[in-house]
This record gives sequence, C-alpha cells and structure tokens, in this order.
Amino acid sequence: MVSLARKNLFHDRIRFGITLAGVAFAVTLILLQVGLFLGMLDKATVSIRKSNVDIWIVGKNTPNIDFGKPFPDTAFLRARGLPGVERADNAILQFINIQLPTGATENAQVYGLADPVFWGLPWKVEIGRAHELSRGYNLIMDRSAVRRFGAFEVGEYREVGGRRFRIIGRSAEAESFTTTPVVFMDFDNAQSLVEQLRGQTTYVLVKVVPGSDPEQVAARLRPMFPHNDVHTRDEWATRSRGYWIKSTGIGMSMGVTVFLGVLVGVVIVGQTLYTSAIENIRQFGTVKAIGGSNWDIYSILGEQALIAAVLGFLLGAGASYAVRPAMATLHLTVLLSPEFSGVVFVGTVTMCLAAALFSFRRVALIDPALVFRG
Amino acid sequence: MKKVLEARMVRKIFVEGAQRVEVLRGVSLDVSAGEIVSLEGPSGSGKTTLLSIMGCILTPSAGEIQIGGRQISGDEKALREARRTSIGFVFQQFNLFPALTARENIIYALSIKGRKGVAALLEADRVIDAVGLADRRDFLPRDLSGGQKQRVAIARALAGSPEVILADEPTANLDSTVGVQILDLFRNLAKSENKGLIIVTHDPKVRRVADRVVGIADGLLLQEAHAA
Repeated sequence: MVSLARKNLFHDRIRFGITLAGVAFAVTLILLQVGLFLGMLDKATVSIRKSNVDIWIVGKNTPNIDFGKPFPDTAFLRARGLPGVERADNAILQFINIQLPTGATENAQVYGLADPVFWGLPWKVEIGRAHELSRGYNLIMDRSAVRRFGAFEVGEYREVGGRRFRIIGRSAEAESFTTTPVVFMDFDNAQSLVEQLRGQTTYVLVKVVPGSDPEQVAARLRPMFPHNDVHTRDEWATRSRGYWIKSTGIGMSMGVTVFLGVLVGVVIVGQTLYTSAIENIRQFGTVKAIGGSNWDIYSILGEQALIAAVLGFLLGAGASYAVRPAMATLHLTVLLSPEFSGVVFVGTVTMCLAAALFSFRRVALIDPALVFRG
Repeated sequence: MKKVLEARMVRKIFVEGAQRVEVLRGVSLDVSAGEIVSLEGPSGSGKTTLLSIMGCILTPSAGEIQIGGRQISGDEKALREARRTSIGFVFQQFNLFPALTARENIIYALSIKGRKGVAALLEADRVIDAVGLADRRDFLPRDLSGGQKQRVAIARALAGSPEVILADEPTANLDSTVGVQILDLFRNLAKSENKGLIIVTHDPKVRRVADRVVGIADGLLLQEAHAA
C-alpha cells in the first residue's frame, strides 16, 4: 500500500524538519518545565516520604511542612497513651540563621529531633552517625548546603542561632522546596535556639505499632488534639504539595507553561499542515477527481499529523531525557516518569491531530474541477 | 458499438449573486466503446464544463448522464462512485503526485478505486507496460520528461479499466513531436482496450486520431464531423 501522506511528508524535508522541530520544542518545553516542577514538589515532601513517621500532628491549619506552627511540647504525651501508637516524639522544623565562615548570614532549615535514628531523619547519612547529634551542640548538614553555605568538612564549626555547633556528619537527599539548606540537630538544641520555641514544638511525630492502620490511629488521635491537625503520611504529603501548587501561583505558572507549549505545538503543526494542504491543493483535487472522498484526504492529513507527533515526541523526549544529567549538575532535578511521558505522548498526538483539523475544513471545500484549470 | 457515455440535453447554469450564466444550453453527446471524440471550441465555449459534467465532477442543472448504460444521479456519493469505477482522467498539467514514483502514482489511484495488494501491483505494471514506460516505473515525476509524465497520466487513467477516458488538453504542455506520439498512444490504447475517449483540445493534431470531431460554442454543439 502506497502512503501518499508519508511520501509527501518526507518529500518536502525542510517543511517536515520545521514541523518536527515545532513538535519536539513543545514536547521538550512541557517535559522539562513540568519535570522541573515535579522535581521541586518531590523535594517539598521528601522528608515526609523518606522518614519513618506514620502520622504527623501539626499546628492547626499548618499549610505545609516548611511552615510549622508552634504548640505546647507536652502534647506528645497524650499521643503516647493511645493504644496503637508505638512511639510519639516532638520535632521542630524551623528556619534559623547560620553564620558562614565568610561572615555572611544565611538561613538554614533546621530539623530538631529527639531520636533522629528512629525517625529516619536524616534518612541517608554519608558521613558520621546521627545518634551522636544529642551528645552536645552537634549538627549534620546536607551535602546540598554546599551551594549556599560553601564547602564544609566534618569537624568544622558553624554558628547557628548564635551558638557554635560542630559538624559531625553529612547527609544526602535532604533538600527543601525553598532550596534553603537542611541541617539536622537534637530537639532540645533546636528548641533552645529560638525564644518563641521555649516549651513549644512544631510537630509531634507518631509511629504506629506494626499491624495497626495509620488512618484508624489518626482518626482516634483527632478528638484528642482539637487544637491541632492530624495527618497520615500521605495526607500530609498531599497537603504540603498542594500548598505549593495552589497557594503560590507556581501551579498556575506551570499550567501557563504547558498551555504555551501546547499552543506552540498546535500553531507550528497546524500552520505547516495547513500550508502543506494549500500547496498540495491540486494533489487533493486530483484525489477527489479520481474518486477519492474527503475522508481519503483527511486520512492523509491525519497520518501526517500522527507521524509528526510520534517522531516529534521521540525527538523532544529524547532531548529532555538527555539534558537531565546536565541539569543535575546545576542541582536542578527533572522528574520524568514513564507515566508522565505517556501522558505527554497522548497529549502530543491529540495536539497534532487537533492541529490537522484546521486543514480539514479547507480541504473539504476543494472543488475537484480545479484539476482542469491550467 | 456499445455506448459507454451518453449525455442527454445537458444544461448548466452558474448563479453568481444576481447573475445567471447558462454555460451549457442543452447538449447531447454519445461516445461508444473504442471511439475517440475530439471536442473543440474556443475558450468560454463550455467544453470544460461539459467535460466536468461527463466526468461526474459537476452535476448538470438539467438533462442526464449515463455511463455504461447506468444513469448517474446527482448526489455526491453516486458521482464519486462513477469517478472511481467508470472514468479515467488525463489532465493538461499531468497532475501526478510528485512524491510518488510512476508505479506508485498508479498504485495509489488504484487504491482509491478499491484495488490493493498484488492485484494493484499487477495492474500497475500492466498499464505501465502498455504506455511503454517499463524502464521508468520507479522514477519520480521530476525525473521524467513531459511526454513521459503524460504517459504515466494515461497509464493512471487506464488503470482499473474504466469505460471512459476524458482527456483535457493532453498535448498542450508537450512539444509537437511528443504530442503526436501521445496522440498515437491514445489511439492505440483506446482501440486495443476498447475505451471511449473524449479529448478536449485546441490542438488540430487531435483530429488526426479522432473518429469524430465535435465543435462547441456558446454552450451548444455546433457540428459533428467524422475525422479522416
């Protein structure tokens, strides 16, 4: 079977190249922008997902993990008494100033924990031992802090909240949505650094006994904490992620980017297919004159759109996957999953077929009698 | 001889705004199998409109068209079916598909006519051989001369064995020598394949191969003459 669609497409290589470039550009734009956004959202909830915490008890209406609200640090005792709770501890997550060797002051996102090893915060320690955090003014700094705080070595000292801390270890993967470097220390030390946190905590971390359902335990905890919110791990991650998407305009910004990507794709594919249809109008007239229907011509345009979609997607997706290592060197995480790529592929095919619709109307009006005009 | 095309009192009126232009004013014309008719007339005489109506591309305002004894109704589906099965076209501008080779041009046309696979391949080779282009079957149109392109167009018109072939100024874009060769080819094929052939032309050389010459002016057939 001879494919006029395919032959025509490859016959005009420059136009085909432009079409492919347009589709690939749109695909790359969408994959990279959304991939970056997903990478940022991943960081926004990484400590929720990686830690050993089943239930988070937070201040009332706390929007996400980065913006904890203080409440009395005795609250955890109530949680400990509930059947189904294996353990409950206080935890602080607070932005605190850190003095750098250069004399500059930066903000650090401080995690203060009673038992960092049990809670898995930090969950990946490259150098040092987390259980030593409680033995004095010690801290573990995440390796990503190098970007903002400069190089650091275990054994060096940094001034946090006006107090000298010794760096006893280095963690990995602990990054925040706000890009503020993450530092882990003992709960009491963190609490003593900030006047407003005296006798306060920002979180109660709960571990349920093996075999218990965290949802059921959380449901039983809620009446016990009328001035707090109680979230399971998934609920808390969803709420934290949702805050950045809905409340900051970042989600809208991503939506606009995706819309622009789709618009670019539709315009380029639509324009090139339409121009091609106009330039090939005599060919389509011939198809009709020899007995072809509008559907024969629609199928030509549809097949061309489909080929442009598939090859354009492969080019765009290939480029997006290829630049990921380079982006990683800039500490930019592009999260591309097969599911997301599949959604973009379906979107690309839809986009190209929609673009072909512009030409459908034009070719439907072709008068086969034009073949007799000189 | 069996009549393959009959036009009976065909009228065609084009309406543009308040203006009515009667391009054909009651034209009747029959063509038999194996017969070659030259349709001649000045520009604006209505010959292309008549060709379009006989080719089932346009519908007449009045009158009727029969192809192979079947009356063609005016709905688009019936017209398209007639074009698919009963009519072959040869155009002044060749109208080959530039991205397809000579053979592919014919195979594609056959696929529109519903013939695919090996049957289409064999038929394409048969008609390419018939027009003497066996050694050019895999050439793109851009690599063929004007005469060779018109041979491919003739082969495409023949493919699928239509009853009637309608040719619109088939020699207009060819030099004199090649034009004569094409007309000879037309005559031989029309006779050997028993096709009714109507050639719309200004070219006096067509009279050399035509069985009948029909003149048209102002939407009416003028005279008929049996060519030498």
